[in-house]
This record gives sequence, structure tokens and C-alpha cells, in this order.
Amino acid sequence: MNTELLKNISENLQKGRAKLVKELVQQALDEGISPETILNEGLLDGMNIVGGKFKAGEVYVPEVLIAARAMNQGAQMLKPYLEEAGVQSIGRACLGTVQGDLHDIGKNLVKMMLEGKGIEVIDLGTDVAPETFINTAIEQDCQLICLSALLTTTMGVMEEVVKKAEEAGIRDKVKIMIGGAPVDDAFCKKIGADAYTPDAASAADVAKSFLTA
Amino acid sequence: MTNRERALNILHFKPVDRLPAVHFGYWPELLKEWAEQGKIPAELAEGNYDGSEKDRELERLIGWDFNWQNMAGPANHLMPPFECKVVETLPDGTVRVQNGDGNIERVKPGITSIPSEDDYLLKDRETFETQYRHRMEFKPERVNLDWFRKLNDERPYDRPLGLHLGSVMGNIRNICTVVGMSYLMYDEDEDLFADIVDTYAEMQYQCAKAILETGAKFDFAHYWEDICFKNGPLIAPELFDELCAKHYKKRNDLCHQYGIDIISLDCDGVVGKLLPTWVGNGVNTMFPIEVGVWGDQFEPARKQFGNEVLGVGGMDKTALRRDKAAVDAEIERMKRLTALGGFIPCPDHRLMPGTKFELVQYYAEEIKKIRI
Repeated sequence: MNTELLKNISENLQKGRAKLVKELVQQALDEGISPETILNEGLLDGMNIVGGKFKAGEVYVPEVLIAARAMNQGAQMLKPYLEEAGVQSIGRACLGTVQGDLHDIGKNLVKMMLEGKGIEVIDLGTDVAPETFINTAIEQDCQLICLSALLTTTMGVMEEVVKKAEEAGIRDKVKIMIGGAPVDDAFCKKIGADAYTPDAASAADVAKSFLTA
Repeated sequence: MTNRERALNILHFKPVDRLPAVHFGYWPELLKEWAEQGKIPAELAEGNYDGSEKDRELERLIGWDFNWQNMAGPANHLMPPFECKVVETLPDGTVRVQNGDGNIERVKPGITSIPSEDDYLLKDRETFETQYRHRMEFKPERVNLDWFRKLNDERPYDRPLGLHLGSVMGNIRNICTVVGMSYLMYDEDEDLFADIVDTYAEMQYQCAKAILETGAKFDFAHYWEDICFKNGPLIAPELFDELCAKHYKKRNDLCHQYGIDIISLDCDGVVGKLLPTWVGNGVNTMFPIEVGVWGDQFEPARKQFGNEVLGVGGMDKTALRRDKAAVDAEIERMKRLTALGGFIPCPDHRLMPGTKFELVQYYAEEIKKIRI
């Protein structure tokens, strides 16, 4: 197997060179490298390194955004092959910014990082009602509900989601994760969510640990 | 002593009789809340802005001495702005609106908050040249010279007056959005991004120069940036320095030539990693030092840069939503920071919904009892 090519995919993904990453992914497919290997050892490897550096404060939001764009474009090329090969994600999450809040940069970063860990993400967008999170988790069999808020005025909706999950009888089947500017670990404990993470890369690490536990 | 003298003395490490009670305004939702609770007259809840007559009236009701955002400045953003118009109404009532920067924002009835962009216009060189460059360039109508020529005679001297210098990166972030800015400067067209920053910065410099040449006197100058968030900068510090340092230096050198030695900068979020660029190029006063929501702190900056760094802000405004004990704890913390010198306590951003009117009055009253 051409490990140099996979390394090249990973390194160019880290630099956010989307066009080049697509070319290299095509080259890897042409050389007969399995889509799963390209995904894991090329794309996800690169995104993991970016995530680790972001968590450590060595790179910043722009580097994550351009790396994630490169990863998404490479992953789109692999998608039909992965489906054909029956490759499964490690789990499924529904994600959104809570009701009353239209901000999505933090939410989008988390989505990119989760996908970088091989997690399937159902993006519910912004201004999402508590019922929508719960109904989606039930209908789409999600193991994770990820909630984002930028505003102090909307963080209270997170507690409603936890309550609705209890009322719907799915609380022991889903992990509820929260993040965003106004929330912290104390708030997470207070509302009975499962995890607060301070940044998108940590969110992806914790999500993976929940799914692989 | 006047409040102007108090503020300037503190920021020059000179003695004062007491601390001034300084504030940073309110989110509109809070004023509506206070009006509904009967704490303030209904007319004060509408159309309030920094330094306005309504702002002054609220100060009198609460007991504040002044708003740090008491400034004058040019029209130093896009001129003319893009036409604001509705481009689409979605089934859930959300409206997609083109804003003055040319971007598409999502607005939902009943939700007022920081803008949330859906799409952005400035993606390539052609768009910049045809739709933005002329809006960013200097033109005489950006500065009302007659107004500034009369300023020294007509301004009140009971509070400090600032010259608004605009921003170097913050408004570019608004125009390009975080996503668009990231793509441009890291991947798609680094030269174009640098050109945008340079074009915009030069216009702002020319505006400041035109104002200062009228002879108008200011107690401080001020930037608005908002280029950081909870986890630090929205741009790598090295790149920020490469793109912006020269512009801060040029504008701040100009201010120094006109005797302005206090240059403050408003940046939300955790700002520590950008301080070397700011402090190294003449910005010396951090504002509002967001302790409560973002976890920023003043002490590390003072430790790193000594008395070169001054502060206005740093009071955890969330205490004003809780109780008297929380406010007392903040006042004690403010006493310790004030003792360092060169620091004026001020709530660390606009007061938000849920803030208790009586606690704000109490804070303002107590802070004025502190002697230095």
C-alpha cells in the first residue's frame, strides 16, 4: 500500500488544500487503496491532528475550517464507495443550536470535528426546538444529542432538552453533550447533561469515548 | 474632581479622591425588562445608545458616572453601505436579509441578538474591485469637519471623551464573516485579503488624521475589534501581527503626535494571545476584559506587560443578575485590581437581560466609595 500517498492526503488536509486533497483521494482510489483506509489513514488522520492542535491552542479556527472543508470534499468522493462496501460510522449524533439562537459557527466546528472522528452527524441547524432534538434522536436512532448556544438568554433551553429526553423515556439511551460561550461544567451538572466540553476538538474526543465505551 | 480627571488620573497612575462608577451600556432587552418592571420610564427603553441623552438619563437614575463608550468619530465603515433588504422569507418566519455589509443574515421575529450570517458576498477579487473598494476608500464626506472644529468649545468636560479609530480586523470579519475570512486568508487569496485589510485601514487612518487636524482634543482614542472568542483569537496571532501591526502603529503614532496617550481597544473573548501585537504597537488599554462569560482576566496582562497595560472593565456583570453577596465579592475583587493602579472597574460588557436594577444601583453606589 502507498503509505506515502496516505500521509500526503493527511498533510494536505491539515493545510486545508481541498483541491489537492481531492486529487490525492482520486489517485489513492485509482491505485486500489480501499476507501476505508483512505478515510481512516488519510482524511481522519489529518483531521485528528488538526483537532489535537486546535485543542492545544497550536492552530486556530481558520485552520480548522479550511481543514474541515478539505475533509468534507474528500469524504464526499469516498461516500459512494464506503456505502457500497458497507462501512459503518462509529455512531450517530444529532446536533443543533438551541431554540432562540441563530448562531452556528461553534455548532459547525463541532460537526466537522465529529465527522473527523467517523461519527455520522444529523445537523438540525439553528433555532432548534427541544422536541425536534428528541424526535430526531428517536427516529434516527441517535446515540448522542449535541447542543450549542451562544447566548445567555438561550442556554436554558438545554435543560428543557434534558427534561424532554427523560419524559420521552430515552434518557438512558442517549448521551447529551453541551457547549458554547455561556455554558460550563457546573451548568452541565446542574441541568443533568452528560458532558460539557470547552472546544470542538474536545467535544469530538468525548463523543467518540461515549460511542466506543 | 470631575469624572474626567478621575479617569485620566487613574490611567496615569495618579491619585484620585474616589473611583468613578463606569459602565458599558445595556442590551435593549434589559431596558425593556426594566421598563416592564417599572424601574425606568418606558421612553428610556427605546432608542438608547451610548452617550445619548437617554443614556445620561439612565446614568442619573442608576447612579453611574459615565459610559466608557463616550466617543466621537467619523463615518469609517462602508460608504455607502449596501441596501438593506429582505431577500427571502422562510416558512418558519425566519427572514433572510441583505445587510449593509452585503451579507445575508438570518433574522427571526422575536429573536434579537448578535448577527448570524447565512452567506457572504466578498469572495473574490472581482467582487472586491467592483463592489467594495470604492466603499472602503477615504472621501471627505466621511468627516464632518465643522462639527469637529467646534468640539473643544461644545463638549462636556465632566467625563473623558474618546476618538473612535474604527477597527483594523473586526469590521473586516463582519464584512467577510469568520468562514469567508478564513477561506480567503488561509487558502483562496491571501493577497486579496491583505489588500482588503490595507485598503480599509488606510481609510480609517485618513479619517483620524482629518479629525485631529481640526484641532479637536480627545482624552483617549479607541478601537473596536471583536476578533477573539472563548478559546482565544479567531486568527493565528502571527498572521494577525503580519496583517495588522503596521496599521495599529501608524494610527497610534498619529494619536501620540496629537498628545493622545491612552488608546483603548474593545475586544470580546480571551485576548491574551493578541496582546503582543496591540501593546507592541501602541494600544495600551484593554476593554472590557470579559471575565464572566468568556473567562478573560486582567492580571496576566499586567504580569506580562507591567504598567504598559491599563484596563477598563473586568467586573463580572453576571454578578448583577445574582445577589448582593455576589456583587460584594466582585467589589472586593475590584478593590484588589484597582490597587494595582491603571485600572478602572466597569461591567465586562453590556448588561444583559435578567440583571437586577437594584443590584446595579447598589454596585454603582459602592464602587464610588472606594478611595485610591
